[in-house]
Amino acid sequence: MKQAMYGLLLYIFLILPPVANLLESIMIVHMHTQMPLLVFSGFLMAQFFQLRFPRFFAKWNQNGVPGLLLFLIVWSYWMIPRAMDEAITIQVVEIFKFISLPFLAGVPLRDSWKKLSTFGKGFIYVFIMLIFSLMAVLYIGTDEQICNNYLEVDQKTLGWGSLAMAACMIIYGIQFIFTDQSTYE
Amino acid sequence: MEQAIQSTLREKANRALGVNLKDAKLSKAYLSVSFITLLVGGILGLLQGLERSGLLELPAWLNYYQVLTAHGILLILIFTSTFTIGYLYAGVSHTLGGLLPKVRKMAWTGFVLMLIGVALVVITIVANEASVLYTFYPPLAASPVFYIGLVFVVLGIWSCCFGVFINYNHWRKNHRGEVTPLLAFFAMGVFVLWFFGSLGVTTEVLTLIPWSLGWKETINVMVSRTLFWSFGHTLVNIWYIVATSAWYVVVPKIIGGRVFSDKLARLVVVLLVILNIPGGFHHQIIDPGISESVKFLHVFMSISIAFPSLMTAFAMFAVFERAGRKLGGKGLLGWFKKLPWGDVRFLAPMVAMIAFIPAGAGGIVNTSNQMNQVIHNTLWVVGHFHLTVGTSVVLTFFGICYWLIPYLAKRKLTPQMNKLGVIQTIIWTVGMILMSGSQHLVGLLGDPRRTAFTTYGDHNTALSWVPYEYVMGIGATLLLIGVIIQVYAVFNMMFFAPKGETEFPIGEPEDDALPTPIWMERWGLWIVLMLMVVAMAYVVPVVDFIVNAPPGSPPIKTW
Repeated sequence: MKQAMYGLLLYIFLILPPVANLLESIMIVHMHTQMPLLVFSGFLMAQFFQLRFPRFFAKWNQNGVPGLLLFLIVWSYWMIPRAMDEAITIQVVEIFKFISLPFLAGVPLRDSWKKLSTFGKGFIYVFIMLIFSLMAVLYIGTDEQICNNYLEVDQKTLGWGSLAMAACMIIYGIQFIFTDQSTYE
Repeated sequence: MEQAIQSTLREKANRALGVNLKDAKLSKAYLSVSFITLLVGGILGLLQGLERSGLLELPAWLNYYQVLTAHGILLILIFTSTFTIGYLYAGVSHTLGGLLPKVRKMAWTGFVLMLIGVALVVITIVANEASVLYTFYPPLAASPVFYIGLVFVVLGIWSCCFGVFINYNHWRKNHRGEVTPLLAFFAMGVFVLWFFGSLGVTTEVLTLIPWSLGWKETINVMVSRTLFWSFGHTLVNIWYIVATSAWYVVVPKIIGGRVFSDKLARLVVVLLVILNIPGGFHHQIIDPGISESVKFLHVFMSISIAFPSLMTAFAMFAVFERAGRKLGGKGLLGWFKKLPWGDVRFLAPMVAMIAFIPAGAGGIVNTSNQMNQVIHNTLWVVGHFHLTVGTSVVLTFFGICYWLIPYLAKRKLTPQMNKLGVIQTIIWTVGMILMSGSQHLVGLLGDPRRTAFTTYGDHNTALSWVPYEYVMGIGATLLLIGVIIQVYAVFNMMFFAPKGETEFPIGEPEDDALPTPIWMERWGLWIVLMLMVVAMAYVVPVVDFIVNAPPGSPPIKTW
């Protein structure tokens, strides 16, 4: 339960207006720091929900796939430039972000992760890697402003950042495949 | 299986026979270069201190900025690097059952490359072709030979990095399911950080070479400065991990205590490896071109490095208290008196740790935006790094010498030499209190750094700095005496001390210590996390510097 408490504290910290404003003022920090941290806070808080509503998770997320799908849909939605733009401009969308990322992405991810097979886990990993690569192409390659609230240089920065993240994930994937994992057990 | 048996046999043989002579020769070579560099750098330091106080006027053929550049590069880069390699290679050899022949060759190759590099760098500085200070910020341009020399130094270090990676990996392959020895884990952390931390500065230097040759007209100054500090601050934490390796592993054994927690020590290493590189931004707090909000976010990165340091402080004092109580210390602080204060192998690192308290506090001042505005270009900063690297790190290095060198040379630490070491530590401490203390104070009064002696036309404010600068000169003199004693002690222990066996002190865990989890060995994961942190930290300013780049600067020679 300690974990859920830490998750809640992180969540409250992230939604404080000065913190949210600062993190959202830089495009890449908005997408690659604030959003993952919101998911992470939900990931930590998930313990509370799992203990409180065990039957709900057993019934609706028996093999982890529904949770996985929910996570992927919510997370992919927030990768769309317009979604980020609206989160800054429209208050309701901002509130939706603060609810959807922790509770509809973080919580189901935690609940699904252990239930998923290696294939499922690998699928999430590869999916995120591909989305990051796609975002890199989109944000670096576009020669016009695709968000009203951010400059073109911000979007290029986000593109390069996404490319770096995708590259890191590829490096990790390669070393994971080519090193003997049994030496760590 | 056969290999594993051989390897275990080699470890046992190593313990029984003491040091591997070939490995010892390698470490002794590195340590010799290290302490010769310390002597030369120390003499230059005194010259500079006296000139800066207005007590000495340097001849026209050797000006203040040449001395300042040489002092910085020799001590900050060469002395510390060669010491680190000498010490950690000895540690790796001892704990992993000897160096592999190819690793030894790689380390010797590194040695030669570094010597060539140092020679090129020193020649250009002496020829007054490279008075660019140790940070070599463009647009100040040195001779291309200077930068080529630096490339050789980096290549030498890389050769040693890969040597350790190979040896470490070899041990793991032959010891399946086992956690590596703690000192080897520290070494791995240092060399991983060294390799990845130096990628940025290498990129910088490789762009400076064509620019200084005139092949490329201009250079992006901000990108260069940022790449430099990605390495500069990493180097600071490399020293720090080297010093803490001795605090965690060696000091407990010397004082008759036990290692506080193997797991915690490894966690400190891993955290430093992952979080450290972006810390470089706090050196650029007053640089233009980085927005306030990015600088503010970077304060978190810098302060996050303070967290493992606080863990270390906690762990070390817990070790001291337990050891002191075991020796009969009673009451709240009785254990403190029971510690072996007369043993230089303990005293020197202990003073180093104590110095880290004000040094760390000063570091937090430097990291904080508003306070940094007050002290940034003043002697405060010089005082700060003489307290951190010049005391916390260097005194730990000195303390290490008193067991490492007799161990490598198959000689003994005599009581007389121990006494000399204690005197040296006291001289160093007093010298540093005077020098660093006055630098801190006069820095608060506005005395600038990186400037030769001047009274600005006898301006009252500038004249008020002079008494502090005298104290600085006195401190510098004491420090040179300290350097001379230390260099004497090192070479005496290496070649003249009585023959005998000295132990490589490796602390043991507490009897009830929990086993260290094997997942801490996932270096692949730590490195990828480090790369992610670096990418996220650097992408914002670097893309901005490049996309919104100013015209760039041609090479400028101000001297």
